Amino acid sequence: MTDKIDIKNVAKLAALKLTTEEENKLEKDLSMIIDHFAALSEMNLPDEKISIHPLGTPLDLADDEAIIFLSHEEALSNAPESSDGQFVVPPSLD
Amino acid sequence: MKIVPTIGMETHVELKTNSKMFCRCNVVETDKPNENLCPTCLGLPGSLPVPNKRAIEFITLLALSTKCQITTDGMFHRKNYFYPDLPKNYQISQFDLPVGTEGSLEIVVNGEFSTVEIERVHMEEDTGKSTHIGSGRIDSATSTHLDFNRAGIPLVEVVTKPLIKSSKEAVSYIEELRQLVIDLDISEGKLEKGNLRFDANISVAYENDDELGTKVEIKNMNSLRSLEKAIEYEISRQTKMLNNNETIIQETRHWDEKKEVTSSMRSKEGSADYRYFSDPDIPNMILSKDFIDKIKNNMPVLPSEKRNTFINSGLSIEDANSIGKSPKWMGELYKSVSDITNDSKTTFNWITGELQGQLRKLGETSPPEWMTAEQLAEIISLVKNDKISFTSGKEILAELIEEKINPEEYAISNKLIQENDTEEISKMVKEIIKENSEVLERIANGEEKLIGFLVGQVIKLSNGKVNPSVAKELLLKEIK
Amino acid sequence: MNHYKLSISEINKLFKDKKLKPSELYSEVFERAANTESIIHGHLTLFQDENIKKAADADKRYENGTELGILDGIPIAIKDNINIAGYATTCSSQMLSNYISPYDATVITKLKDEGVMFTGKTNLDEFAMGSSTENSAFGPTKNPWDPSRVPGGSSGGSAAVVSAGSAIASLGSDTGGSIRQPASFCGVVGFKPTYGTVSRFGLVAFASSLDQIGPITNNVEDSKILFNSMKGFDPFDATSGKESKTKQPKLKNAKIGIIKELMEDGISEDAKLEVQKVAKLLESQGHEIVEVSLPLTKMSISIYYLIAPAECSANLSRFDGVRYGNRVAGNTSYEMMENTRAEGFGPEVKKRILLGTYALSAGYYDAFYGQALKARAMMKKEFTETYKEVDYLISPTTPSDPFKFGEKSDNQLEMYMSDLCTIPANLVGMPAISIPTGLSSNGLPLSVQIMSPANTDNTLLEFSQKLESVVSFTSLPEIKGGVS
Repeated sequence: MTDKIDIKNVAKLAALKLTTEEENKLEKDLSMIIDHFAALSEMNLPDEKISIHPLGTPLDLADDEAIIFLSHEEALSNAPESSDGQFVVPPSLD
Repeated sequence: MKIVPTIGMETHVELKTNSKMFCRCNVVETDKPNENLCPTCLGLPGSLPVPNKRAIEFITLLALSTKCQITTDGMFHRKNYFYPDLPKNYQISQFDLPVGTEGSLEIVVNGEFSTVEIERVHMEEDTGKSTHIGSGRIDSATSTHLDFNRAGIPLVEVVTKPLIKSSKEAVSYIEELRQLVIDLDISEGKLEKGNLRFDANISVAYENDDELGTKVEIKNMNSLRSLEKAIEYEISRQTKMLNNNETIIQETRHWDEKKEVTSSMRSKEGSADYRYFSDPDIPNMILSKDFIDKIKNNMPVLPSEKRNTFINSGLSIEDANSIGKSPKWMGELYKSVSDITNDSKTTFNWITGELQGQLRKLGETSPPEWMTAEQLAEIISLVKNDKISFTSGKEILAELIEEKINPEEYAISNKLIQENDTEEISKMVKEIIKENSEVLERIANGEEKLIGFLVGQVIKLSNGKVNPSVAKELLLKEIK
Repeated sequence: MNHYKLSISEINKLFKDKKLKPSELYSEVFERAANTESIIHGHLTLFQDENIKKAADADKRYENGTELGILDGIPIAIKDNINIAGYATTCSSQMLSNYISPYDATVITKLKDEGVMFTGKTNLDEFAMGSSTENSAFGPTKNPWDPSRVPGGSSGGSAAVVSAGSAIASLGSDTGGSIRQPASFCGVVGFKPTYGTVSRFGLVAFASSLDQIGPITNNVEDSKILFNSMKGFDPFDATSGKESKTKQPKLKNAKIGIIKELMEDGISEDAKLEVQKVAKLLESQGHEIVEVSLPLTKMSISIYYLIAPAECSANLSRFDGVRYGNRVAGNTSYEMMENTRAEGFGPEVKKRILLGTYALSAGYYDAFYGQALKARAMMKKEFTETYKEVDYLISPTTPSDPFKFGEKSDNQLEMYMSDLCTIPANLVGMPAISIPTGLSSNGLPLSVQIMSPANTDNTLLEFSQKLESVVSFTSLPEIKGGVS
């Protein structure tokens, strides 16, 4: 693959803040791995319907019966910040 | 050159299941935040999604009733984006294999039939609820509070093709879709509660242009009124821009309910590259012929079928559409009453006008349980056959809402039956003329409104039993 | 006499015969931990005190003859990416160093019902990404056979504690060899069941279509006992399977295929010789050995390093500091998430998230992820065809004996190649077991891997048990500095 990896954009999509040093190292490392994929990318493979389950097992839908799993306290037990029974985060922008 | 708008609608319908889409947490209304949670809908490490069978039955029902093709070997995809109200930072949705594709929905616009083309009907999960704390505006919020009770509630997204031509058509479409999900009994269908949430994609172009204009997405329309206003505003904004040769940019705009304008939304950080891929936690969803047939065979009466029944009973398309979208009891009462009265229009007017009006004044949403179609038909017939006046009919109806009465007996015992016998009335008219020679003179001198006074005298003499129009007719005859 | 190297059924017999009490075994195992953990660092946490009462309860059950089953009172270590309610699940990551799970994984519920006692949580490569435990945020685990060498990974802690005797058995998770490779490096048995036979609910996901929980044990029989106590459909895991009837491979006069592509470049002479030695043994037992070719096996590293990072890039998105995890402040919620992820994840995890994000991003999906899915489907066909000809497949578990710390950490591709032999079983979904069979020229353990068609796990285990008895590998590590 000749495309250079746009590390800044990929990091943004992944919500990972990288230092310049990390950017440089990761760009190099990833390019090396991506080069390794070339042989696979160039293979001519038939287009077939993909089965998500490795064994081809189809989905079993669950009955619509409600259960109680976590208490309110358990749900919030690991919250870094909470107030009035809600999780609190810095302002989120739309 | 004429500029024409094109509108596509994206609607989220919240399903009324017992448990969430991918976990078995309760779906109930509660004031307490973060009460109905489990590892799955809270996105805890190690949790897994298992799709809800009833939700899939519901979406299949909706897809079938909108004449969609059903994808029998479908799957779920992950839509990746970071936002704090999205517990896993990906939403489980459907991408290229939605449950339904290529359907249509018949609607009524301005008393005429129209068809909205449906592109896709797919299954997904709702997000949590964000409350921005601070000065009230998103821009100056100091923190955001998160409640995940709503996270994971099943949502069906219904996407139309961009073929809607006006705000009225868009509104009619939403009304029809709302009625459909209510009649299918798959959603509460309450707009004010957010059971139905819609965005509109709007573009304008010259009429003979082959290509559509640049589409602009409008969000935050919380009522049919704001939907209509927002679309009209946006069409005129874009039309002006096109006329002025300005470039319309593809963006998402926010409807401002107070200012009644759309404004550009601050775009989310990063580009919208959702990196859809099939969710490896959920195997392919095979919908068997049995599964689909079972749903087909249990299909309730659809709004369009109901509407056709009303049309066949003699109502106009407009009236048929209107009563079909009224509370269920109205349509049913209409059918029973009109079967007796054989007068669709009058029955329609009495039920949608008088009855509903009086109930509304009393703060009632439905008639008392003792009220029967026969009683209502009797009132309608009494008025229609001039046995009682329209006013008396209204009075009897009011009484019937108050307590269980027999309309005819009530009319008799309250002396509401009108005298229609012309011979009897003629006698009374002559008597009144005899007693009011002065008045007659004044009428002859042009004071014509005094005829009303004489009619009143006749009615008084008859103890209110005389049909006023008959009395007037005979009076005029005598005077001339 | 030491009991920590006895088999589960032997221990159970001693318990039943009242020759040993669960509490006594427990003390012994913890004493062993006290003597070895300072060198090995296999456990991240030890549940010593809280188990005193549980051990006493188990004692009573055996006294009253009301024991819960063969696993009652057996001390088992759990990889720290499997949730136990009330305990930390760190995944060896700074991100989760303070995270306490409010719920049990399904396998934990099942083992609790059987009376199993948990020794503690074991070390791993951060979020199970790695082959040496060098990627643990809390320091690496050392190989009991030679502390200057890695124990393998990612379930390095789980393999090392069984090898060292500070647990009778352990649970690991295997995405591309994370049970089998460390089991091989530590000279113990590692079994990856058929995909979906053991519920993944409560296992912190790395790559959902490849992950599978399995046992690491001193012998094949123990693996069989643990596997059968954990397997079964779970309503909380849509990928978990109901038992299906499958044609079972032969136990006698079986046909065994040596995978040609896994006996070529990149495989050490020691490893090849080990497979040939085992093949001869099998032949002497009346089995037939043939060479088979599965050409796409050569592509398995590429396929794996597209599919696994793609899935992990989404699976690890939930670690954002909103609902749990070590939050790092930011002015907006997005900044907070970015900072939290920057500080919480180590270099290898970041690399794989970015690799997967890239492989799924607009314009690259078809060439990378889409292509990998197709190749995986083709590879599955190759194996299905091959299993029409043979009952089992055999290969080395690892290309070499355990490597030294730092030896491969600078060469990522070489590190990735250490999973060459184990990855195909995950891609195809079939069961695979690693059995120690001998020592390398360095005096370090070597193993062979045996694979069989999907849903033939118990037959594979039975076959392996027979092989194990013929091989009779009895060497044990001598932990220097510890009390052996």
